[in-house]
Amino acid sequence: MSFALVLFRRLILRPLIGEPIRTTLTVLAVALGVAVVIAIDLAGQAAAGSFHSSLESLTGKSDLVITGAGGVDEKLLGGLVQLPYAFDFSPRIEDFASINGKGEALPFIGVDLVSHAKAEEHTIIDQLAAADSIWVGQALNLHPGQSVDLLINDTPHPFTVAGILKPRRGEISEDNVIVADIGLAQTVTRKTGKLDSIDVRVPPGGSLEYWRSIIQKQLPVSVSVDPQGSRTNENRKMLTAFRWNLGVLSYIALIVGAFLIYNTISISVVRRRTEIGILRALGITRAMVAKGFLAESLFFAMAGSVCGVFMGRLMALGAVRLIGNTVQSLYVSSHPGPIALTPRAVITGITLGIAVAILAALAPALEASQVPPVEAMARGREQYVVAARSKRAIFWAALMFILAAVLSQMPPVNRQPVFAYIAVFFLIAATSLAIPNIVAAFATMANRIIEKLMGVEALLAMRSLRASVARTSVLTAALATAVAMMASVGIMVGSFRETVWLWMNDQLKADFYLRPAGSSASDRHPTLGADLAGAVERLPGVAAVDRFRAYPISYQGMPATLAGGETSRIQNSASTRFLPGENREAILSKLPTGDYAVVSEPFANKHNVRPGSTIDLPLAGAIRKFKILGIYYDYSTERGFVVLDRRTLLKYLPDPAASNLAVYLKPGADPNAVRSSIDRVIGGRAVMVSSNSRLRRGAIEVFDRTFRITYALEAVAVIVAVVGIAGALLAMVIDRRREFALLRFLGGAQSQIRKIILCEAGILGLLANAIGLVLGTLLSLILIFVINKQSFGWTIQFHWPFLVLLAALTGVYLATVLAGLYPARMATRMNPIEVIHEE
Amino acid sequence: MALLELRKVTKLYQAEGAPVLALHDISLEIESGEFVALVGRSGCGKSTLLNLCGGMDFPTSGELLLDGQITTRLNDAELTRLRREKVGFVFQSFQLLHTLTAVENVELPLLLGRRKQARSTALERLRWVEMADYANRLPHQLSGGQQQRVAIARALVHDPRLLLADEPTGNLDTATGEIVQNLLYLTAREFGVAVVIATHGAESVAIADRVVHLRDGRMVQAKVPQAAGQLG
Repeated sequence: MSFALVLFRRLILRPLIGEPIRTTLTVLAVALGVAVVIAIDLAGQAAAGSFHSSLESLTGKSDLVITGAGGVDEKLLGGLVQLPYAFDFSPRIEDFASINGKGEALPFIGVDLVSHAKAEEHTIIDQLAAADSIWVGQALNLHPGQSVDLLINDTPHPFTVAGILKPRRGEISEDNVIVADIGLAQTVTRKTGKLDSIDVRVPPGGSLEYWRSIIQKQLPVSVSVDPQGSRTNENRKMLTAFRWNLGVLSYIALIVGAFLIYNTISISVVRRRTEIGILRALGITRAMVAKGFLAESLFFAMAGSVCGVFMGRLMALGAVRLIGNTVQSLYVSSHPGPIALTPRAVITGITLGIAVAILAALAPALEASQVPPVEAMARGREQYVVAARSKRAIFWAALMFILAAVLSQMPPVNRQPVFAYIAVFFLIAATSLAIPNIVAAFATMANRIIEKLMGVEALLAMRSLRASVARTSVLTAALATAVAMMASVGIMVGSFRETVWLWMNDQLKADFYLRPAGSSASDRHPTLGADLAGAVERLPGVAAVDRFRAYPISYQGMPATLAGGETSRIQNSASTRFLPGENREAILSKLPTGDYAVVSEPFANKHNVRPGSTIDLPLAGAIRKFKILGIYYDYSTERGFVVLDRRTLLKYLPDPAASNLAVYLKPGADPNAVRSSIDRVIGGRAVMVSSNSRLRRGAIEVFDRTFRITYALEAVAVIVAVVGIAGALLAMVIDRRREFALLRFLGGAQSQIRKIILCEAGILGLLANAIGLVLGTLLSLILIFVINKQSFGWTIQFHWPFLVLLAALTGVYLATVLAGLYPARMATRMNPIEVIHEE
Repeated sequence: MALLELRKVTKLYQAEGAPVLALHDISLEIESGEFVALVGRSGCGKSTLLNLCGGMDFPTSGELLLDGQITTRLNDAELTRLRREKVGFVFQSFQLLHTLTAVENVELPLLLGRRKQARSTALERLRWVEMADYANRLPHQLSGGQQQRVAIARALVHDPRLLLADEPTGNLDTATGEIVQNLLYLTAREFGVAVVIATHGAESVAIADRVVHLRDGRMVQAKVPQAAGQLG
């Protein structure tokens, strides 16, 4: 065994094994930090990683895809097949269906079974269709011959399962897809004469752009020809900000872990000062001392990272569900894929763990190497070093604080709030640097008060914390960072929730809302029967019905939603709030008079659109120019809305079916009676009728579900910090065993020793909570007004979610105090005689 | 009745599985105000005897009565109260808390016992050991002798009936050691406190009212030295 290994085993490994619980806690802290990063990465990949919409299922090996807003006229296909080239066109209907109207909406794809049957590579069907035949993915657990009712739009349709689809190479395949012949699909989706897309395989030779231009010439300008996968790219672009922000959040636990590694190595250095002195006197070089402590850190990093990778794989199972919910609610209908622990993810996790641990251990390791042998035994030096540094620390803290303020005002880089995140980092660093001074000031000021309130035990706890200000500060910084992130995200989400609630109060003025039953998503706009709106409008007690129709479109290479509403109804109902400075009445009066549009705030920010600018929309065979009259607040989806007056929309997309209806009652009308009448009109159709209050409740439930993932990430960061505190308190008990033993000699009871340790944990928790709350509030301002605005384009009003914060901070505080229980037990179980005699 | 009475006290330890006889069949009575020196080689059982006397440990057999209370019949809380009220300890390596000032160290037993007037009593004791001027200094700002004087003040602050000192001059130079030793002697004389001092020093033996010799855990001799009563 080499000399270095012998030393490592004897001087580093042996003490670590001697304190298995503390070693385990430190490894666990690193492991959790790494695990969260891995989990979010893996879950992100699985939930949205492929970024393809469920509608891209079974796109096969096509090269180009033809699409248009509101669909493509199927007559165009006749012209395309006349082209003197060996193109292979596959027309598609893309919609959603739910089995028996329950559960998630499944992709319902209509393809030309005849041509599929002929094309050898694309044979997904073994036999030609009967009139009601469907083919289903394996995951649906249906069997051939089984009869099922599929709810498509607002109508249930009976089908028979003709076969089970087998996934094949080269296809974007989903195992929960439903396939029907295109004719049948057109009928049941009410798209007769329309296609959602046409997949194109080009002949060999010639560039894709060459073939694209040939096809494009054959088509009206409102129909676009794009390389296959364009929608995937659009989704990828749309989801970039979401994944980026989620990724950054996932690193918080690792940062907290870094504080704890720093603390662990610092404790190690302080404890071994005598040992370092002896070893230096025996001839060990400074470099070797530093390497020794770095090796200790490396041990934690390796053990923690390896455990973290496997823990991350397990945690990804939960995370994928949470992320999937968010993606589904805010962005695109997609079904999470399998979680794959790739070598890249493993290497990333381990590398991150090691890098963070080594960086965190660098400062204490270097400090250890500077210890002169003769001073190694001297007490108080460490505190002197801390005191000497405090003024410098204040200077750097102030500088970083100013830098953070400046950086938070910088514009985004490629729509990413890069500078804002650097500002967040500086703000955390500034606070961490200021914490030793805060702790010292607190200990000085609160000393007597705490003693009076809580007795001598609190005084001793306070003195100990102050005496070991370096260690206390690192622990406080670790917990404060976790608390700050929890508070900041809590304030941000709470503010967002309150904003959405107020927005809904403004937006939702109707008494009833109707939409096709089944689950909803921001890229799915199933329609109600065209006759329904009129029938409801004629009911006694109904004052008016607002028909709202939405289409998923692509704008400047990004997914968006084109919609039409009845402006007069919006005007009368006083719903829809515009950005400050915009004249609501003037905008809504002008909207129905021509090619005008209003856009939602996320759309405006994403595409840099302002009132007065013009946007081009490919509609009804031509590029149409729409002048933007105003920007309105909208929090329903990040995709962004372009809203026209309904008549304008119908002029270009003449499908009268509405995606949803808002029903206004006459004054004095009995809501229950009207509701019963509406139900009668609906008859056998699957339509969900929501009262105003139910819709709001439902929306808030979706909102809360959307943000569960952020709460989960914060919780892990807090757990890491609390685990670290438990480890540090354990170390403290071991280091101060002489003091506790002496107190027993002086008449201290076991309960008093326990109280001292719990007091220390409590004071740590109190300091960390207080500092965390202040830092968290500052961070929340950056999150709400800079990061959110630059990433997602939403205006959020600041709001204190008082009860949520109180509950969370109380939880953290209690967890911190509880973390002291085991160390306290250890302290009370020590034999004071043995300890005093060791000295 | 004697303040401290040991009746056939034996103490066995288990060291690496094998029993070690630390004290064997010790019987001893110590009166209030008596200054007793425990002598013997390292490992003879002096510290073990002090710990038993202070209620920090229990004998394996025999009985130990402190101010009429049999320590073996007391639970941990009762023993703690007994120590808090009736026993003071002085250690070889002073054992001051480095985070507390001199006066805070001295008042600690009073605070642990929730006694009132802790600060004024602590300052009074510091004055008695001539350390009042150093009341607000931290231990590392004091010399070894000064630290031990503070430790004696701490041991006396709660008016104990028994003061146990384990090699109190062992870490001090001769002159300082003498000062500390005189302080302990005066403690016995002025306050009527029974002082038991484990020592190697001939000076302590010379001034002691009684010298107890220990060898391999057995009491081999208990005598009154000739010089007793000459000091003070």
